[in-house]
Amino acid sequence: MHFKIRAAAKEDCREISRMIKELAVFEKMSDQVKISHEDNKTSVVFLVTRVFVVPPGFTLVGYALYFYTYSTWTGRSVYLEDLYVMPEFRGNGIGKGLMSKVAEVGKKKQCVRLQLSVLDWNTPARDFYATKGAQDLTAGEGWHFIRFDGQSLDDLVNEAPED
Amino acid sequence: MEYSIRAANVEDCKDIARMITELAEYEKVSEHVKVTQKDLEQDGFSKNPFFHGIIAEVPEQHKTKEGHTKIGYALYFYSYSSWKGRAIYMEDLYVMPEFRGIQKNGLVAMEIMCMCMCMCRKSLVICGVCLSGKGIGKALMSKVAQLGLAAGCNQLNFTVLDWNKSSLDFYLNQGCFDVTADMGYHCMRCEGEALQHLAQP
Repeated sequence: MHFKIRAAAKEDCREISRMIKELAVFEKMSDQVKISHEDNKTSVVFLVTRVFVVPPGFTLVGYALYFYTYSTWTGRSVYLEDLYVMPEFRGNGIGKGLMSKVAEVGKKKQCVRLQLSVLDWNTPARDFYATKGAQDLTAGEGWHFIRFDGQSLDDLVNEAPED
Repeated sequence: MEYSIRAANVEDCKDIARMITELAEYEKVSEHVKVTQKDLEQDGFSKNPFFHGIIAEVPEQHKTKEGHTKIGYALYFYSYSSWKGRAIYMEDLYVMPEFRGIQKNGLVAMEIMCMCMCMCRKSLVICGVCLSGKGIGKALMSKVAQLGLAAGCNQLNFTVLDWNKSSLDFYLNQGCFDVTADMGYHCMRCEGEALQHLAQP
């Protein structure tokens, strides 16, 4: 199957939104999706997020969303927030192509790590990442993601010292 | 004891590098730290920075015996959730040991922990005063949350080791939740040869 990978443009946000929702349905968390393609339009620019999709002329069938992060031990890193290929297009190397592209872009920026998260029950994804040499830091070292949002975030903000 | 918190600037990189190293030495993992002062200057203070920082400072009369007035920091960057939008990630949070348990109004709380996200082994003693949160570490974390909110973020994320029960309890008591335990997300990493191989076109 012929496919191409390119950087996303603002005009892609509607399709990216569609695929974000498809991925959320797959992850059994579609109620968690709060942002719209309008949000994506402004936030992509703000957060220096890049997305790769298959170009038009073809159908948009997958995307990767990433941003740069930092480790005070090892320096520049890239975080793969989303990696998605529509079910009917899997098995053609598109997911692998997208992930490699993100790694390549990161390498050009001297990133020494690529990080992501995966659901513990998502065995196909975990197997895929394992074949790429990814280490599971949660299983291997006990790292947990912790989050403040909603009321807990507001409460934390209210305790910030005055400038 | 009086202290102040402000945005880090490029001149702070020497002290930030020092504090990163202090923590790593204390943890006996200093061989893991590859980042230098110069890396911090380039990566944090160029046109498209990879991170931002805030510094906790004390007045001259409270400087350490080595002469340091910059005694704590938090390092953060902006991230994104394709579900919820803008988020802020706190990569490091650190207060030099002799400045822990300090409250701005002079009262002394039980010792709070060093909360560096790299790898923290220092145990946290919890008491009601700690939970009322007036220590420098708490102030730094709140400031990161405030900066995030001002930038339109609706999440503050970070990581903690599962065996560090006292830290986990400290954070959970402040209303955050454990995304890994509750939702099943695992942190994954590609680096070294695996990353080189992945990056082949």
